[in-house]
Amino acid sequence: MTGEPLGGTVVRRVRTDSLEGRPAEDAVLVERAQHGDTEAYGELVRRYQALATRTAYVITGLSAEAEDAAQDGFTKAYFALGRFRSGAPFRPWLLRIVANEAKNRRKAAGRRATVDLSVAEDRPSGDTALSPEEAALASERRTFVLAALGKLREEDRLVIAYRYFMQLSEAEMADALSCARGTVKSRLSRAIARLREIAIGEGSADA
Amino acid sequence: MRERLEDRDLERTLSDIGGRLEGPRRDMWPAVRARIDERRARPWWSRLSIDARTLAPVAATLAIILVAAFLLTPDLAARAAQVLGLPGVQIYRVPESPTGRPTTSALTFAGQRVATAAEASRIAGFTVRTPAALGDPSALYVETAPVRVTIVYASVKGIPASPQAGVSAIVVEFKGTLETQFMAKAIGPGTSLDAVPLGSGVAYYLSGQPHQFFFRDPAGNVQPETLRLAGNTLLWEEGGVTYRLEAQVSQQEAVRIASTLR
Repeated sequence: MTGEPLGGTVVRRVRTDSLEGRPAEDAVLVERAQHGDTEAYGELVRRYQALATRTAYVITGLSAEAEDAAQDGFTKAYFALGRFRSGAPFRPWLLRIVANEAKNRRKAAGRRATVDLSVAEDRPSGDTALSPEEAALASERRTFVLAALGKLREEDRLVIAYRYFMQLSEAEMADALSCARGTVKSRLSRAIARLREIAIGEGSADA
Repeated sequence: MRERLEDRDLERTLSDIGGRLEGPRRDMWPAVRARIDERRARPWWSRLSIDARTLAPVAATLAIILVAAFLLTPDLAARAAQVLGLPGVQIYRVPESPTGRPTTSALTFAGQRVATAAEASRIAGFTVRTPAALGDPSALYVETAPVRVTIVYASVKGIPASPQAGVSAIVVEFKGTLETQFMAKAIGPGTSLDAVPLGSGVAYYLSGQPHQFFFRDPAGNVQPETLRLAGNTLLWEEGGVTYRLEAQVSQQEAVRIASTLR
């Protein structure tokens, strides 16, 4: 994950940890941050701001609130660095904090169960060789699936997002969701099944 | 959408959505750094990641459990009383003192009215003693469930009448056996508690705001004392009997009165 923001081009400086110019490992940046190097933490923020905002967005469904929740999540994570277990992966730990922050905000706001999600339609996603008909069909599918996603339970939405939107590994998903690694697959498959059920219901109603 | 999504199409669509999800449009670090700096400037306790809304019900529940445990568990009550060194008495700190308000029943004391300390002793089953410094009592009342003797001094020279009880002084005596009774005394921020030497033992002087008492009856039920609120109070124990002197007097004067117990 490079952490490049999706909404536009941002030129940024990447901190390196060797003469070869490779980006510093998370663990190195975390350790520096734990020893008071605030800029090292800044690098982690830039690296994961897109991931954190997406995680919050999947929960809140509001872009502005998602960014705010992500920023608060980063702030809380900074002050919790002393409790971060050395050698543990930083990414799922951070996402857990951000997701909690987003959940708390949603709970405090007392919002209804359905979340309105949308995506940028003009952004290329890799499928560049689609015919106009195929592109139209893909767009229709996205709208259809997003509507069904918005009706899923928060936890189901999150497990799908971690797998398909953020491509987390199974181990990272388990860590981010605070569950055993063995249950990640079953949770994902149940979430997909529920998504499909909602989608079928929507399809029938639509037909 | 009329067509049914195949698994492959669903997965592809989900991945497609992931690639198109909105993200932050600018570098988030300056905003995060500002929040970190702002939080650093706060006192350390407010930096704890515990929401007050989360903490409040937890604190309230803990307080209720603690009070309930003390009031309803004889063992805990016994241990607390032993720590205090005064059988039958417990003292709790509370956020605010109950408001002292005179009532029409201020001068009504429970129990059987008797004429002399000797008669009170016979009914109570222990030797009732009176402080010589207060002179002759105006009245004595003996309760038997639980056993408790209340000695009333309506007017004593040099001691103003209590605005709560309407009398100069009250002495309450009971056997300090925790299995049958104990009382709790609620003290708030306007009340001070001092341990003072009395003879070869220790007495406890409570002054300031009026206090409220709670008793546990022999059946183990907690009974609040609602008829009167005490003023300055000295609590002490001698020979297995707990004494309570309530009077608007200084600590030194209260100790002097207590030392004249005959």
